[in-house]
Amino acid sequence: MLLQQCANGIFLGAVYALFAIGYTLVFGVLDILNLAHAAIFMAAAFVALWLVGLGAPIVFAIALAIVFAGLLGILLDRVAFAPLRKRNAGTLVPLISSIGAAIVIEGVFRGIFGPDERRFPEGSFVSTQFHFGALTVGALDLIILATALGLMLVLSYVLRATPLGRDIRAVADDRIAAALLGINLERTIALTFFIASALGGAAGILIGLQYNSVSTDMGGRIELKGLAIIILGGMGSVTGAVVGAFVLGLVETLAVAWIGSSYRDAVAFGVMFVLLVLRPQGLLGKRALRAA
Amino acid sequence: MRIANVLSALTAAASLSLAGASIALAANGPAAGKTVKIGVIADVTGGAGAYGTSQKNAYDLAAEDLAAGRIDAGGAKIVFDVQDSASDPAQVVNLTQRFTTDGSALLLGPTLSSEAKKADPLAVRAGLTILATSNTAEGITTLGPCVFRNSLAEGQVVPEAVGKAVPRWKVKTAAIIYGDDDQFTKSDFDIFKAALDAQHVAIVDVETFHKKDVDFKAQLTKIAGKKPDLLVVGALQEEGVKIVVQAKALGLRAHVIGGNGLNSPKFIELAGAAADGVVVGAAYYPGNAYGGNRDFVARYKKKYGNAPDQFAAQAYAAAQIAARAIKDGAVTSEQICAAFKRLPLIETVLGPVAFLPTRDVRAASAILQVKGGTFAYFK
Repeated sequence: MLLQQCANGIFLGAVYALFAIGYTLVFGVLDILNLAHAAIFMAAAFVALWLVGLGAPIVFAIALAIVFAGLLGILLDRVAFAPLRKRNAGTLVPLISSIGAAIVIEGVFRGIFGPDERRFPEGSFVSTQFHFGALTVGALDLIILATALGLMLVLSYVLRATPLGRDIRAVADDRIAAALLGINLERTIALTFFIASALGGAAGILIGLQYNSVSTDMGGRIELKGLAIIILGGMGSVTGAVVGAFVLGLVETLAVAWIGSSYRDAVAFGVMFVLLVLRPQGLLGKRALRAA
Repeated sequence: MRIANVLSALTAAASLSLAGASIALAANGPAAGKTVKIGVIADVTGGAGAYGTSQKNAYDLAAEDLAAGRIDAGGAKIVFDVQDSASDPAQVVNLTQRFTTDGSALLLGPTLSSEAKKADPLAVRAGLTILATSNTAEGITTLGPCVFRNSLAEGQVVPEAVGKAVPRWKVKTAAIIYGDDDQFTKSDFDIFKAALDAQHVAIVDVETFHKKDVDFKAQLTKIAGKKPDLLVVGALQEEGVKIVVQAKALGLRAHVIGGNGLNSPKFIELAGAAADGVVVGAAYYPGNAYGGNRDFVARYKKKYGNAPDQFAAQAYAAAQIAARAIKDGAVTSEQICAAFKRLPLIETVLGPVAFLPTRDVRAASAILQVKGGTFAYFK
């Protein structure tokens, strides 16, 4: 029982982590909260669903949808953020602009695909369940867990040890100084959006598969928790977001197991509150991204 | 507006008493030539979009059928003003406000019980008659003297479903999982609990969830540990699908029973194999042969590409009921309220319906079980 609940918590945490990684990256670099992240998350899931419906092999559909999500991220930046950046609009105005972008993206997808919940056709992806004694684990659970941890490691490596990562960190640290030193600001930001949105897209597709449901409001379900996670993890810290996600997943699950499902959110957010009182900068400190 | 209403009421009354014998001509009832505007509030988009879309589709089809004379309104013209409330309670309130002032004689909707509880009192204060087509929680018709519903309440359906399932499956213990932040699913819990108590079934675990949750494994793992014979799902379709799928994946072996929230072909489509064997207490069986239902199902399928669900059928039946009242000469809100109160048992796509003195509907329920990807009568 407890073993199964811990597994439930870890896999739930992996789902949250997948969403939060891209969410926190844009925040770390640009200091803006991109509330359209959840819309891109949804859009990628629909594009993958559509491609599968056309008969595309699932892996190909996933890959293409992830690229689509990345490109949508660049478009989002050009339309919703770049013009404001030019005017030095601060951090609140882009926040509102991202809400607008989210509404537009959701509206377009609702117009095309309708408000109904959809699912991937049965058997379009692995649905094997492994039983180890009393423990039940889905193959997709393991894939999501591996993807979340893998992406976290890759992204941390890219940020720490590649020229692109250096550029991104420089832009995150001081935009003007970075530009003066010859870093192509707009290109770096566009790439950041591409990476973050592609990650968000991957999350949307895998979560759509995991819960067997794709709908235009699927992003809204996870958005608030994602926000709580990136604050808990330390805003902008990729590793922190992943740790925060596992903390939330485990606390939520164990709250149900030990205290009662009615108190789940109260306990989960109560624990977060206490952690943030103890460590106001988040679990993995302030601006870990820049220090990385 | 007031004066116009009174005038039309007078003329309607006059034509009733004067015309006498000539009323027999169906296309020339007392309301012939009059236009009656009916406001419809449906969650066409947003979280409850699946339900509201069915409703909108049904009203569009009903409007066609009225124009073509397949539904008889005695020569009156009925206009459905279908507005999307986007699953947003604030928008439901705004639209309700609007229909109280724009000359609408009847309000059909809103989609969810929780919305109705917020918005209906406004219509009641303004004297606008309401016919709810999909509110199944407790305490809807008590909101006002002219609030009706043609949807069987969960309280009317569930005891029957439980009464059938418990002896059939030899149920001794049950666990309940329900949404504790929604009027409908919360009242599901109360009703199921009462029905199970009445059958002397021990409730071994009660778990809750919130709207839009997607992961129920923690609750279901806990339930699995208690090994109940029966799992009661008090959920709307979206969450209900994920609950039965995840219960199956975790190897939970209990029989599953649910309320109206699970009664939709979409539930079976989305839950796939996990839906098999699930029993739902329902208000509509698409295979019934009442009140033009076969024709309704066929034309709905042709127009929208999928079979009508309960929400569509109840909406279409509401159009049939409203048409009947209007055919009898009711054109104002007040008259429609009075006409509903003395409505005889009439045939609709749901079967024969009339209103009880409580303004709830008098109709037969259908206890259905998912078998091989479709609903069939539960025997």
